[in-house]
Amino acid sequence: MIKHMIKLVWNRKRVNILIMIEIFFSFIVLFAAILGGVFYIDNYLKPIGFEYQNVWRIGISDNQNREESVASETSRNNEPAQPGSPQAVNSKAETVRQLAIAVREFPEVEEVSFATIAPYSNSTMESAMDGDGVPIRFGVDIVSDDFQKALGLQVVLGRWFSREDDGQQYQPVVINQLMARELFGDSDPIGKEPRRPKKGPDKEQSNEPPRRIVGVISDFRKDGEYAASENFMFRRITIDDKMEKTPNNMLIKVRPGATAALEERLIKRLQNSARNFSFEIEPLSKMREEMNLIRLAPVIAGGLIAAFLMIMVAMGLTGVLWQNVTQRTREIGLRRAKGATKNKIYQQILGELVIISTFGLAIGIIIVSQFQILKVIDFISLRVYVMSMIISVILIYALTVLCGLYPSRMATKIHPAEALHYE
Amino acid sequence: MLKNYIKISLKVLTRRKFFTFISLFAISFTLIILMVVTAVFDHIFGPHSPETKTDRALGVYAVKYEGPDAISTGPAGYGFLNRYVKTLPGVENVTIFSVFETTYTFREGEKVKLFLKRTDGNFWDIFDFRFLEGAPYTADDEKNGNFVAVINQATRDKVFGGESAVGKTLEIDGQRFRIAGVVANVPFLRFASFSDVWAPISTNKTASYRNQNLRGEFQALVLAKNKSDLPAIREEFKTRLANVEFPDTKQFNKAFGGLDTTFEQASRNIIPSSNFESQPGKLLAVIVLFMVLFMILPTINLVNINVSRILERAGEIGVRKAFGASSWTLVGQFIVENVVLTLLGGLLGLIGSLLVLDAISRSNLIPYSEFQMNYRIFTYGLTLALFFGVFSGVYPAWKMSRLHPVDALKGGVR
Amino acid sequence: MVTSEEISRTAKQSIAHGSPDASDMIRMEGVEKVYRTDRIETVALSNINLAIRKGEFISIMGPSGSGKSTLLNIIGLLDAPSGGKVTINGKHISSYSDRNLARVRNEELGFIFQTFHLINDLSVIDNVEIPLLYRKGSSGSERRSLALQALERVGLSARVHHFPSQLSGGQQQRVAIARAIVGNPKILLADEPTGNLDSQMGDEIMDVLKSLNQTEGTTIVMVTHDPRQADKTERIIRLFDGRQVD
Repeated sequence: MIKHMIKLVWNRKRVNILIMIEIFFSFIVLFAAILGGVFYIDNYLKPIGFEYQNVWRIGISDNQNREESVASETSRNNEPAQPGSPQAVNSKAETVRQLAIAVREFPEVEEVSFATIAPYSNSTMESAMDGDGVPIRFGVDIVSDDFQKALGLQVVLGRWFSREDDGQQYQPVVINQLMARELFGDSDPIGKEPRRPKKGPDKEQSNEPPRRIVGVISDFRKDGEYAASENFMFRRITIDDKMEKTPNNMLIKVRPGATAALEERLIKRLQNSARNFSFEIEPLSKMREEMNLIRLAPVIAGGLIAAFLMIMVAMGLTGVLWQNVTQRTREIGLRRAKGATKNKIYQQILGELVIISTFGLAIGIIIVSQFQILKVIDFISLRVYVMSMIISVILIYALTVLCGLYPSRMATKIHPAEALHYE
Repeated sequence: MLKNYIKISLKVLTRRKFFTFISLFAISFTLIILMVVTAVFDHIFGPHSPETKTDRALGVYAVKYEGPDAISTGPAGYGFLNRYVKTLPGVENVTIFSVFETTYTFREGEKVKLFLKRTDGNFWDIFDFRFLEGAPYTADDEKNGNFVAVINQATRDKVFGGESAVGKTLEIDGQRFRIAGVVANVPFLRFASFSDVWAPISTNKTASYRNQNLRGEFQALVLAKNKSDLPAIREEFKTRLANVEFPDTKQFNKAFGGLDTTFEQASRNIIPSSNFESQPGKLLAVIVLFMVLFMILPTINLVNINVSRILERAGEIGVRKAFGASSWTLVGQFIVENVVLTLLGGLLGLIGSLLVLDAISRSNLIPYSEFQMNYRIFTYGLTLALFFGVFSGVYPAWKMSRLHPVDALKGGVR
Repeated sequence: MVTSEEISRTAKQSIAHGSPDASDMIRMEGVEKVYRTDRIETVALSNINLAIRKGEFISIMGPSGSGKSTLLNIIGLLDAPSGGKVTINGKHISSYSDRNLARVRNEELGFIFQTFHLINDLSVIDNVEIPLLYRKGSSGSERRSLALQALERVGLSARVHHFPSQLSGGQQQRVAIARAIVGNPKILLADEPTGNLDSQMGDEIMDVLKSLNQTEGTTIVMVTHDPRQADKTERIIRLFDGRQVD
């Protein structure tokens, strides 16, 4: 039976090839949309590793020349013996310390911490480490000791950095589980000192003290629910003489129920403490909404377009199949006259359609797999990829069969006599 | 003859409602997507108030610096722009302005988020802002560091309840500004001119911006006297970039960038290039590629429908051939039919695009964005519709012209 | 290999009715039709020699598959012969392009089919106008009046704005005849015009054809199964397995 149907499909290849191409492209479009959706759902179901509720971000700008700070960073790397002008650095650190004290005075504020990059913000920092000669990329944030409590990060191994790291001959760092696994597999990462690559933009600076892993956190997905889990490392900043750059963000935890009135009081207080500084204030929940909207919008738009394309394809396919059946009235009538049951006709028309779809899908799957094999989209896991592929295949089969239902029902209604009518 | 074709087309289309409906749906849907995308591009790159002189204006939006150990890309410093752009010879005008920053003002315990852009006095001469009341601040205000500001209509509504705001005071980021004028809202995606509040550069909290040599948060826009002067101005700036004086050559020793239209600027940011070149051609190619990729499925769908439409009418084609229609006459008839259909689809697509654009504008997804239809987009859409119609009709028409009359009369093809 | 001279000689010998002269409307000399597919060749017609005079009303008879429809299609220029020579109204058409064939079909020929082949999407009058659409320089009102005249001749002037599906089989065939004669062709080709009709309607259609033949002098070639209708024509050509039998 199947052999017979394949023969039929082959003999009508000129018509069928167009349908096959259409199914192939439908699969590609549907797969792209489904992949986006599955990727997001998969990410959404995993914990982000921090709590954004009642955490506010206060953006701090010292209105200093950005160039100067770049220069000071470079000089730190090249000439550590002469760190700029110590007095200027001291006064800046002193101002930042005063800001922290001023904010802590508010009874509604529970925790105060500093960070170079805030969660749900558009800025990112990246670096790399040497993993057996292969650079292992990871995201970085430089934060103060209180950051862990303010954002409720879960330490799963070792500890968060603290005062006990003051004056040590290493830089304490905390990494996430994903990175620990990638760097050390199942062995204990605590106390290890991974090296930076010898070459490239993240190459090792000879004078830099080694980075020692003091703790592992469950995860920290800076961009929130819809971003994939990536390697992440926290480095330590202290608000003291060694502080060279004003941290860009103060992240504070407030009591539940704090309102914009508190924001106003906070910002006024901060402005009074540092006249030359500029401040922004925004609850993380608000930033989260904006970030999620930005991330969701393209997937929703893409999904809508894909959905409309599928409706269009479905209607087109129904039309084409309907016409095919009309055109084959004689053949079908003849089959009926030779004793084929209605069910057989039904099966035949749908079977042919499934065969055409299978060819289209096979090509689609081969092409789509290349992207994964060639690592073109490596931030999407194989699991998500395969799952999306399976869902798309099922949906395409469902779509084509649905389109074939009405035309094949029409075919079963063809009377055997109609075959003779054409003679 | 054409009149007859059209008459026949309309008759066929009204009698074959199912196929007509599918075709119209496919055509109008495709056009809606393409026209909305075009409208968004037009909104970002086309000449719209206040950026009406786009044909003879070029900007320095970002500069890339390279050194032995470091690479840095971003807006330039005030000092850099003052030295290398402001002094460009043979131009009509140059303005320097900051990238907008987020600030807040508080009104009755409610926080109002406002974007603030600091500009020089020339800014108001180069851009055509529509003033609802008051007037812009001047170069003198900028020189003297006067705390004056221009706000947009939305800010007037939010902060002053929509009442006249000129002369009133607005406090943002601990600074108090006297409002000099109110302008119509500027769409968010016009990065050069967009803001809620505009204030003189000299009102910055510290004067450290004046010492910024390379890196900062400023951009500049150059207005040429004539469009024809632009190549020479671009060339001059390129020469200047090659000869930038670096304060510390161990840090940075090379500068890359150029004078850009907004589209060139986008291509500089989007298309990677080692020398930070603008490649508008490549960006355009990428956009066209995406549009073509998107159009593949609707086109195949339409070709399929058209083939079916023709095969369904095989009998009719046979009759027409028997009564003296040549293959070419029939192909002509079919193409006319297709063009009529696509034009109808185009009309529906136009209506649909208007609705979609209106919905996007209303959704406030992008602040102050009024996505509008104009003759440019419409002409583009119409051209596309016709291309789409003719293109998707070619293969089926060719197939039809090969249809043998005897087979056609029997009602099918082998 | 036979030269064309030889063909015309054999043709002269075997043409039953008289020698070729200018009054021959249709001449076929050594016409063959072979259908080829990948593996098999089917001979549909072989060595057909035929001369039909102006104003003749003839019928072609033969069992199914004898090639009568193929013969009619070749006369009607809907199908090209595999070999031999076809002359229509003095025009040797085998070298004609698609465009010229179309013009000959339009000006010289009119078709009537067993299944009528009316376009269901068009009204009666629009159907009848079709041949005039492909004729240069006729205005809309001209076409309309010619179509009305044709419909009057077949006695259907009351049903001008009906659609084919609203008519009986006999009426549909009358519309088809009106369509065939509207362009004033010299030859009418009818492929079993009465095959789908009951005998009474069939007789009516035959009457219409007969009167056209007599009053207008139209040459009519009709394929039929029905010996009763065939007997009403002047001459019967019989085919068997693609050959003429006398």
